[in-house]
Amino acid sequence: MKPDLWNNRDFLAGLLFIVLGGLAVALARDYPIGSTMRMGPGYFPMVLGGILFLFGVYVLLRGVRSGDKVKGEWGYRPLALIALSIVLFGFLLDRVGMVPAIVVALFVAAAAGREFRLKEVLLLAVVMTAFSVAVFSYGLKLPYPLLGGY
Amino acid sequence: MDILNNLVFGFGVAFSLENLAYCFAGVALGTLIGVLPGVGPLVTIAMLFPITFHLPAVPAIIMLAGIFYGAQYGGSTTSILVNLPGETASAVTCIDGYQMARRGRAGPALATAALASFFAGCVGTLLIALAGPTLGEWALRFGAAEYTSLMLMALVASAVMTQGDAVKGLAMVVLGLLIGVVGVDVNSGMARYSFGIPELIDGIGFTVVAVGLFAVAEIVVNLESREAREVYTGRVTGLMPTARDLKDAAWPTVRGTAVGACFGVLPGTGPALSSFATYMLEKKLAKDPSRFGQGAIEGVAAPEAANNAAAQTAFIPMLTLGIPASATMAVMLAALTLQGIATGPQVMFDKPDLFWGLIASMWIGNFLLVILNLPLVGVWVRLLTVPYRWLFPSIILFSSIGNYSVSNNPFDVYLCAVIGVLGYVLVKLECEPAPLLLGYVLGPLLEENLRRALLIARGDPTVFFTRPISLAFMIATVLILVVMVVPAARGKRHGA
Amino acid sequence: MQDSHIVRALALSLVLGAAHPALAQAPYPAKPIRFLVGFPPGGTNDIVARAVAPRFSEYLGQPVVIENRGGANASIATDLAAHAAPDGYTILLVAPGHATNPALLKLNFDSVSDFAFVTLLAESQNLLVVHPSLPVQSVKALIALSKKRPGDINYGSSGTGTTVHLSAELFQYMTGVKWVHIPYKGGGPGVIALMAGEVSLYFGNVPTVIRHARAGKVRAIATTGLKHTPAAPEIPTVAESGVPGYEVTTAYGMAAPAKTSRAILDRLHADAVRALNAPDTRERLQNLGADPVGNTPEQYTAFMKNEIAKWGKVIRAAGIKGE
Repeated sequence: MKPDLWNNRDFLAGLLFIVLGGLAVALARDYPIGSTMRMGPGYFPMVLGGILFLFGVYVLLRGVRSGDKVKGEWGYRPLALIALSIVLFGFLLDRVGMVPAIVVALFVAAAAGREFRLKEVLLLAVVMTAFSVAVFSYGLKLPYPLLGGY
Repeated sequence: MDILNNLVFGFGVAFSLENLAYCFAGVALGTLIGVLPGVGPLVTIAMLFPITFHLPAVPAIIMLAGIFYGAQYGGSTTSILVNLPGETASAVTCIDGYQMARRGRAGPALATAALASFFAGCVGTLLIALAGPTLGEWALRFGAAEYTSLMLMALVASAVMTQGDAVKGLAMVVLGLLIGVVGVDVNSGMARYSFGIPELIDGIGFTVVAVGLFAVAEIVVNLESREAREVYTGRVTGLMPTARDLKDAAWPTVRGTAVGACFGVLPGTGPALSSFATYMLEKKLAKDPSRFGQGAIEGVAAPEAANNAAAQTAFIPMLTLGIPASATMAVMLAALTLQGIATGPQVMFDKPDLFWGLIASMWIGNFLLVILNLPLVGVWVRLLTVPYRWLFPSIILFSSIGNYSVSNNPFDVYLCAVIGVLGYVLVKLECEPAPLLLGYVLGPLLEENLRRALLIARGDPTVFFTRPISLAFMIATVLILVVMVVPAARGKRHGA
Repeated sequence: MQDSHIVRALALSLVLGAAHPALAQAPYPAKPIRFLVGFPPGGTNDIVARAVAPRFSEYLGQPVVIENRGGANASIATDLAAHAAPDGYTILLVAPGHATNPALLKLNFDSVSDFAFVTLLAESQNLLVVHPSLPVQSVKALIALSKKRPGDINYGSSGTGTTVHLSAELFQYMTGVKWVHIPYKGGGPGVIALMAGEVSLYFGNVPTVIRHARAGKVRAIATTGLKHTPAAPEIPTVAESGVPGYEVTTAYGMAAPAKTSRAILDRLHADAVRALNAPDTRERLQNLGADPVGNTPEQYTAFMKNEIAKWGKVIRAAGIKGE
């Protein structure tokens, strides 16, 4: 019975911990380590990274043995779209202003949902933009450019 | 007794009709802004405090106090409703509060949070008045060694926190510790894990981690499957807590208040740690620990009481030493300075009406908060019936605005997206986010104090055992370890 | 990062120039001015800016909007200002760290040539206080005791690279004594540590520590600036107590991007100085423990150049590393 490792929950978790822990250790070596009684900036991160690495190995092996699967499906599309929505907001705010940034962010985020009803999303965009401008720009007098960047 | 008189005097100052109106306005404003996901108390107060510039001193402070409470409660509201902590302390409320909301019990959760906070606030205010200076002096005995052993104890106890898998839970704590390491190392001044990016020199902010880990991950999980999934059950079983709820929540509230009051006096620890600590305590004390994480009302009452008690007693270092208790306090004091009122220790002694008026206003703000929000519970619950496809883009939007507004820097927004992806992966692989947050809070404190203690002791490790308070914590740590390991050795750990 | 800023600034000016001919012709200032502050709201830098802004706005005739861009000891905000369009609509609150960052961090700008310094807004100094357990009443006694116990006395600071820290480093540099640095995260914990006796001496900011000195919890020894502090005129300066030439002044100033026109700079200077002379501005600043200044651009520029050089030497000698 060939185990499907890429769907194995603990295998993946363990792998993630191993990678993160290993990275932490590798990067920490650039900082002075010092000794146990006189720790340098690199000591703590290196120890932590090492512990995480070891936990990762344990979880990975345990996963291989138990074979528990990841429940449900991976939501690649919603994940990508939500992340994109966030990134676009940050990118656009300074450059083309708050209003376009909000509208774009809302549209992209809404696209991550199961259904996308254009009229509803448009309405949502208008309402949210109006609300945000009212609260943040007029109410709180935050100096964000509404249209056009700095 | 002098202080009690002062407190009464403060109430006199604060209780005018005009001032009450300002307080109410502050509470309302603070709640409305604080409720926006990702916009936590610190950001809220930072955004709102310029409004108070145009007001005379006393109403300004009172309004700020109202804003402070409103914002804190707003943070708890988002924790319960949409699994998004407004500040570290509310992260713990997410664990059970959000589960209650999903099961149609958002109303009781919100109401309990308000009531527990109010109880804690009353106790806290009294404590300041009666025992302030004593507690303040006591806090001075806490040096680096004491903090270290306290953090160590908390770290070990955190294994109790994990809902399911103990090993993965601990791994999350370690991962949290590592995320907390990013930034300038206090003891050496070196920037760690900053990759030459200036924004990382100050570390990864709480808002970024919270939004990414909790909100983004939760939203994507809700969207991932192709068939519609009911996020919040349509059946809402009542807006107010039942008698049973109140009974269940009573003792945890009291215990939470006690824990919070103790931690609050220690500068640097405060609300976050106390809410985690009391959650762990309640879980250990409960007859059926497996209920925690599924919507146990104790898991809402205790942390809410704790973080409010801690926020109150955090005034004590301010009283005795003139040092702002937290970043939020610092902003408030800044507002005072700009009013033309000298800040620092002087404020306590030269202008007692201002200081005690502030303490009284905090209580009034707390009270008005309950009055304002209990009726609003119905509105919040109604909000959850909005179709999810409208709700989630709004959450993402406001979270992004909140993240941006922390330093007016798009980098924080980008970082949040990255953490969101990581958060989703972790949640999918059944690694809980709450322990990570605990590690993130604990890590810097532990390391900073450990190295400082050794530095002061010139490398002599016995310092942790020769100082009495530190020794007490170390013994407690060993005891906790024993208590945890023995049942595990005897048999499988039951579910929780 | 740098290139895109330049491209953006160019594009912006092109667009502004082309699409808004009216704006290009309108007298300065024709729209609100961004006042970049490198720390979050509530900190001293922020308060200084907000203390000056109301009157400054009034005299300029346009709102001066504080924009907090915290991070990396104000270097993020400073970087933004260095690369902003030199049209007079972006100014920077120059933080004390401006003089020390060049030696501690990798910067994307030149701390002198990328800026047109307008005026020194306010300055403050630190107060050297010791815990009662240290049997010294004066600088001379402190130096003598420190020489007898090298590497034994602990001093606290509000963080590596802060003026609290560097005051002590300069002292050691100029007198040859050797203390042990115990950094804390910010002024609050640092002062608490001093009160608790965890550290024996501390160069604290005046309003915070003077109270404790008056209450007898700590002993005030000397001030770090050139003049006595109005809050306690009886306390001598370090320079007049045995370390001639010693000076640590925490300076908050105003600057614009380097290529800002002379006319605009003069206008900014004139109105800033007027704002500094207004009684309410002065009072707000003094509550912070800061003395309003308002010197000429030439004086301020010379001061900054001097500070950068001085602290560069001290930081390198002390072996302090930032990144």
